[in-house]
Amino acid sequence: MLGPGGVVADPVQLRTYECDGLTGRRVAPALVVLPETAGQVAAVVRACAAAGVPFVARGAGTGLSGGALPVADGVLIVLSRMRRVLSVDIANQRAVVEPGVTNSEITQAVTAHALYYAPDPSSQIVCTIGGNVAENSGGAHCLKYGFTTHHVVALEVVTPDGEIVRLGGIGDLGYDLRGVFVGSEGTLGIATKVEVRLVRVPESVRTLVADFASPHAAGDAVSAIIAEGIVPAAVEMLDALAIEACEAGTHAGYSLDAGAALVVELDGPQAEVEAEFAAVRRLCEAAGSTHLRIAADDAERALIWRGRKAAFAAMGRLSPDYFVQDGVIPRVRLGEVLERIAGMADLAGLRVANVFHAGDGNLHPLVLYDDEHEGEAVRAERLATAIVELCVEVGGSITGEHGVGTDKACSMPKMFTADDLAVMARVKAAFDPAGIANPGKVLPTPRLCGERPGPYRPHSLETAGVVERL
Amino acid sequence: MRAAGAPVTVSPADLAEVRAAMTDTTGALAFAGAGTKRQWGSPGVPAEVVVTTGALDQLVDHSAGDMIAVVQPGLPLAALQAALAAHGQRLAIDPPAQGEGATLGGTFAADDAGPLRHRFGTLRDLAIGVTAVLADGTVAHAGGRVVKNVAGFDLGKLLCGSLGTLAFVAELVVRLHPLPEAIRTVRVPADTETGTRLALAVAASPVVASAVDWQSDASGMLSVRLEGRPAGVAAQADALRTIIAATAGREVAGRAQTLDGSDTAALAMAHAGVEGETVARAATLPDDLAAAADALARAAADQRVEAALASHTGVGLHTARLRGGDAAGHAAVVRRWRAAVVARGGSVVLRRRVPGVDGLVDAWFDDPAFAPSALALMRRVKAQLDPDGRCAPGSFVGGI
Repeated sequence: MLGPGGVVADPVQLRTYECDGLTGRRVAPALVVLPETAGQVAAVVRACAAAGVPFVARGAGTGLSGGALPVADGVLIVLSRMRRVLSVDIANQRAVVEPGVTNSEITQAVTAHALYYAPDPSSQIVCTIGGNVAENSGGAHCLKYGFTTHHVVALEVVTPDGEIVRLGGIGDLGYDLRGVFVGSEGTLGIATKVEVRLVRVPESVRTLVADFASPHAAGDAVSAIIAEGIVPAAVEMLDALAIEACEAGTHAGYSLDAGAALVVELDGPQAEVEAEFAAVRRLCEAAGSTHLRIAADDAERALIWRGRKAAFAAMGRLSPDYFVQDGVIPRVRLGEVLERIAGMADLAGLRVANVFHAGDGNLHPLVLYDDEHEGEAVRAERLATAIVELCVEVGGSITGEHGVGTDKACSMPKMFTADDLAVMARVKAAFDPAGIANPGKVLPTPRLCGERPGPYRPHSLETAGVVERL
Repeated sequence: MRAAGAPVTVSPADLAEVRAAMTDTTGALAFAGAGTKRQWGSPGVPAEVVVTTGALDQLVDHSAGDMIAVVQPGLPLAALQAALAAHGQRLAIDPPAQGEGATLGGTFAADDAGPLRHRFGTLRDLAIGVTAVLADGTVAHAGGRVVKNVAGFDLGKLLCGSLGTLAFVAELVVRLHPLPEAIRTVRVPADTETGTRLALAVAASPVVASAVDWQSDASGMLSVRLEGRPAGVAAQADALRTIIAATAGREVAGRAQTLDGSDTAALAMAHAGVEGETVARAATLPDDLAAAADALARAAADQRVEAALASHTGVGLHTARLRGGDAAGHAAVVRRWRAAVVARGGSVVLRRRVPGVDGLVDAWFDDPAFAPSALALMRRVKAQLDPDGRCAPGSFVGGI
């Protein structure tokens, strides 16, 4: 069924696959397979279906919610050998790729034609498009350009009964199953071909960093920019603790005396960008910005982004251990929520650093703690959970981009009613009546929700500086 | 007692009444808004109960700072846009039926959109939260009030375009965009070949168009809509003229006109069709406009039917309007056009039609070899969400 080296059964080698980016949970699979074609994926899935064995798909393993956590008695289907760019259609701005192609490789294949693949999760140089489809990945620029679901036009999918079907595309009719599949975290089947839309590289990109006395003041500037009718390509915020960490790590030139830093990036036709960039400068100043740094060239813009993206990895310089949280709030409640998080942190006797996508209210609070101190890990984990519950309370979401996976399946009832979840389970049953596709992910189960995750440990790719945790 | 054959009409005013409308009745259900797209899909089984959205017509919430709106399905799109415009915002869709009273719910159920889909997509892309009521009375929410959200399955995508065959949509949360400060439309005479070349050249350029449309009236016209700041729009209009000159020659560029504002109203007419016309919609790759137009012209000439084509050419969607001739002629044109488009990997669905067309051509596909490959999966989704087959039975693809 599979070629040489297509099956891993050695217990030591199996441990290589025991976790994804959520390193606190580890389960070694019974078997790992590395198929090279859709036909092989279908054959493996049919064998699983016939034997009633669960399967889990895995790309690069950079997911942060345990979506690719293996099942102990199941098969892990690793798509990393399916990494061909099958076709590129420059005129129609489309590409068809296999699931193991990395996000960055799609852009590399078309960059000579001034095109790129827009969603830019920060792990884009290693994460695969198959994993992006599973997680509906976003990135810093999704405020303007949208998520994976807006850029994947068609899929070839192996369903949990081992059938190969095509979802979406110009020849498709009927329900938008492509739209349901994207973001279903591997619970509805395995994508074996992905057709993506490509985007023209913008004529102009302008980036600035505005310092403020407090996150609240920076939040006011974000509101003013939005109220002006500007849709920035990205709006990112770092609080004082995050600035301290990222400067310690990268010396990107963020002001250590600022209470918060706002990174605003605009892109598009030059005259359009210039008009709006002038407005952004004016609005930041009006909101009380204490210092404006305008990127003079591509190199300085890259430095600003490197500092911003290094903030997570650099957190280790401030604290031996930390939890990374991912939640979304309505943007208008930013100031209030940050104050409540600060109050909750004080009460717990812990520090929380905030690095986030301010434009779309996607918070990434980092709860700092020291595992050597008795009870601190438990307090930190409780605080991280309380923060995400606060997000739901103010009308937001338990996850903006990391996914539900195993990590937050038990938080789903905070956001959805029992009936909501039952209807999602009915959709799952239409695709996977036997329940063998990535069981225990996304939808809560009593068995799963009795367990507790361990503390965060850096993934080897993070330690090596290849990926960041955003 | 009602007269035999006449459906009962229910107009629920809240969620409890929607549930009751489903659970207190039996037989085939149909969900109705303004009725501007009631012919879309297959005729299906006549409804015994029609649930209208007329009493669910409120703008529940507009959070301008978050750029979202919570809307009931019966709210006319035009009324929603007027309310949003007061705050400098819009729902970035402009379907042809907006001017005829089309509601948000109907637009979502049909996934209808207009020229702006080139830049902003459709409600499939802009709806971020949905509340649906299944035929068994189950109320299900998916998504939420925030744009960035990956919690749970995206049921909104499933319901959008499902033509009411899965559930009643009781509320939607939509993402909004700022109203542009300036709008200009550059129009240039172009046959299908030139129109295609120009549309592809615009897509390959740094110009960010909000709409790229072609229509067959007046022997072919391409129009490109620009939106943004006054200085940006002016600079882009100049860039467009340069692209036109480089792609189609100075003579063609000399005939280009720049209009203030949009030509939405004219384009809407070209796509919606009117009483007495049969309307079909083809999907192709963006560079396949000429092939689609030629195939339509050949099929229509053979049947002595008059055919007009309007195309959102930047996204490869083409609307054919057929008039003159008879129902048999219209059906034959649709079948022949479909065969040509399907052979090139695309699809053709029937929308509006004159009486008699339905018995002669299917709304979705003719050759079972071109049924969607996931049709069995679609039937299972339908069976899970509507196990008794009450929601608009028979009106969807493959008899769903």
